[in-house]
Amino acid sequence: MKINTWFGVLGIGRTGEVLEFELFSKNIRELARCSIVLQENRQHLPPAGFDLKTAALECGFIESSAEYYSLLHEVTLEAAKIRVSEALTADQRIIQAVEALDDINETTNSLSERLFEWYGSYFPESGLSGEALAILIAKYGSRENISPEDPLYSRARDSMGAKLEAADEVLLKGFAESLYSLYGRKRQIENYVQDSMESTAPNLSLVAGPMLGARLISLAGSLEKLAAFPSSTIQVIGASKALFKHLRARAPSPKHGIIYSHPLINTSPWWVRGKIARALAAKLSLAARIDFYSGEKDFSLVEKLEVKVEQIKVSNPKPSQKKQDSGVKPKKKRRK
Amino acid sequence: MPEVKLLSDGIFEVTKDKKQLATKNLDPGKVVYGEKLIQVEGIEYRTWDPRRSKLGAMFLKKFNIPLKKDSKVLYLGAASGTTVSHVSDIVSGGAVYAVEFAPRSMRDFVVLASRRKNIHPVLADAGKPDSYAHIVEPVDLIFQDIAQPNQAEIAARNAARYLKRDGYLLLSIKARSIDTVANPKEVYKNEITKLEQAFEPKFEVLNAKDLMPYHEDHLGILAKMR
Repeated sequence: MKINTWFGVLGIGRTGEVLEFELFSKNIRELARCSIVLQENRQHLPPAGFDLKTAALECGFIESSAEYYSLLHEVTLEAAKIRVSEALTADQRIIQAVEALDDINETTNSLSERLFEWYGSYFPESGLSGEALAILIAKYGSRENISPEDPLYSRARDSMGAKLEAADEVLLKGFAESLYSLYGRKRQIENYVQDSMESTAPNLSLVAGPMLGARLISLAGSLEKLAAFPSSTIQVIGASKALFKHLRARAPSPKHGIIYSHPLINTSPWWVRGKIARALAAKLSLAARIDFYSGEKDFSLVEKLEVKVEQIKVSNPKPSQKKQDSGVKPKKKRRK
Repeated sequence: MPEVKLLSDGIFEVTKDKKQLATKNLDPGKVVYGEKLIQVEGIEYRTWDPRRSKLGAMFLKKFNIPLKKDSKVLYLGAASGTTVSHVSDIVSGGAVYAVEFAPRSMRDFVVLASRRKNIHPVLADAGKPDSYAHIVEPVDLIFQDIAQPNQAEIAARNAARYLKRDGYLLLSIKARSIDTVANPKEVYKNEITKLEQAFEPKFEVLNAKDLMPYHEDHLGILAKMR
């Protein structure tokens, strides 16, 4: 019987004795590569309970038990390193980028609020906030420096704001520059996500939009996992708290998770959102599967989805007549 | 001067201010996950936090941990290696085959494994025991901490291939990953019945205890092949 082991191909008899063997060379990198191949094809497995170490000693691959373990250690370690470095796939890079984008959004929000409050004492009439304010401060510093050509000139001249001392001006200007550069970084990452989604998951990107698509991949963990999810799961990704509340107790089931941010849902009247979420999730799941398994762009998905959404809207012009909010809770069976 | 008491093969109780579980550090001077290093008579011990390790919790729950200096262990669900490092301390002359499926965890684990010669890392799915058949030899203990809904089945399939006739199976069952809404006690009962009857080989459960207060909704099980 022929069996594959990490150190070579053996022919063994009925009781497990080695009859013939073809050993691999003792090169750690080559052995590691072989080990990865064997792990994937899973053929000619040693029988259950087969003692690899004794076999390796018998055919003279190694001279001692200690040598066996030290070589095995090096080989498994090398194989693990190779597999780890191969694990960084395109979808994993998208996940890192989209998560970084969320961090940047959070940071720019709180920093721009801080800047608004801070600079507000010196020029409350500016009427600017966010990136525009950061640009103004980075450019001029104190409102006294605003040039006569700038539309804000007259407001700056008549402002009731306090006088900005030189030391504070340096601080504020630096702060505004950092914030401004963060906004730049944000756009850079957004473009990156858009481009990579277009090449890695074109259909998902088409149906969901690149940002939502990337967030779905990020919450699922990988494109492969997202493709394996049933559409009912995709529908509530990002609403896990509400979902488990529903499963454990009497809470209503969530209608949509993160896909709520899709314009088809959040611009529709509330009574059809659940139905549209279901239709959208079904198409998203198809899109993810096409992307993972074939990768060809299929425009019919979006067309079909739009037709379906139109149907839903036409057949539900008004909220359903069931009185949900009459004060009496609908009776629901208690789950075990 | 800290006091040291031997509790079981390779497992110690070190008393310095308070009593702590510890193992002899195989990689002196190195801290793995923020545990304390305590020197006693020239030997370095690493404290073992039962709240970070199900195996540590099982030991404190009076489980018999069938590990010796030269034991061979198949460890399913190595994660970043917190517990594996202690197993590696205990079986200093043996071998730990550490299976982990997540590349992210493996990335941290590789750093640990490269410093400890008795650890053999395997990046593979524990649910496909065939995929590491060319590497793993028969073992004295299978330890499983993988939080999968079919973990009893996975344990049985691994035991069929790798566990020696007189070897032991130690596993930690996470009720919440088998059924998020069911009562943990029911889940435990089902899982024990599964181990005893559902798969080949069948097991005899020697000990089964809740891991409170160290881990919530976890059950530790020690079993032997029937």
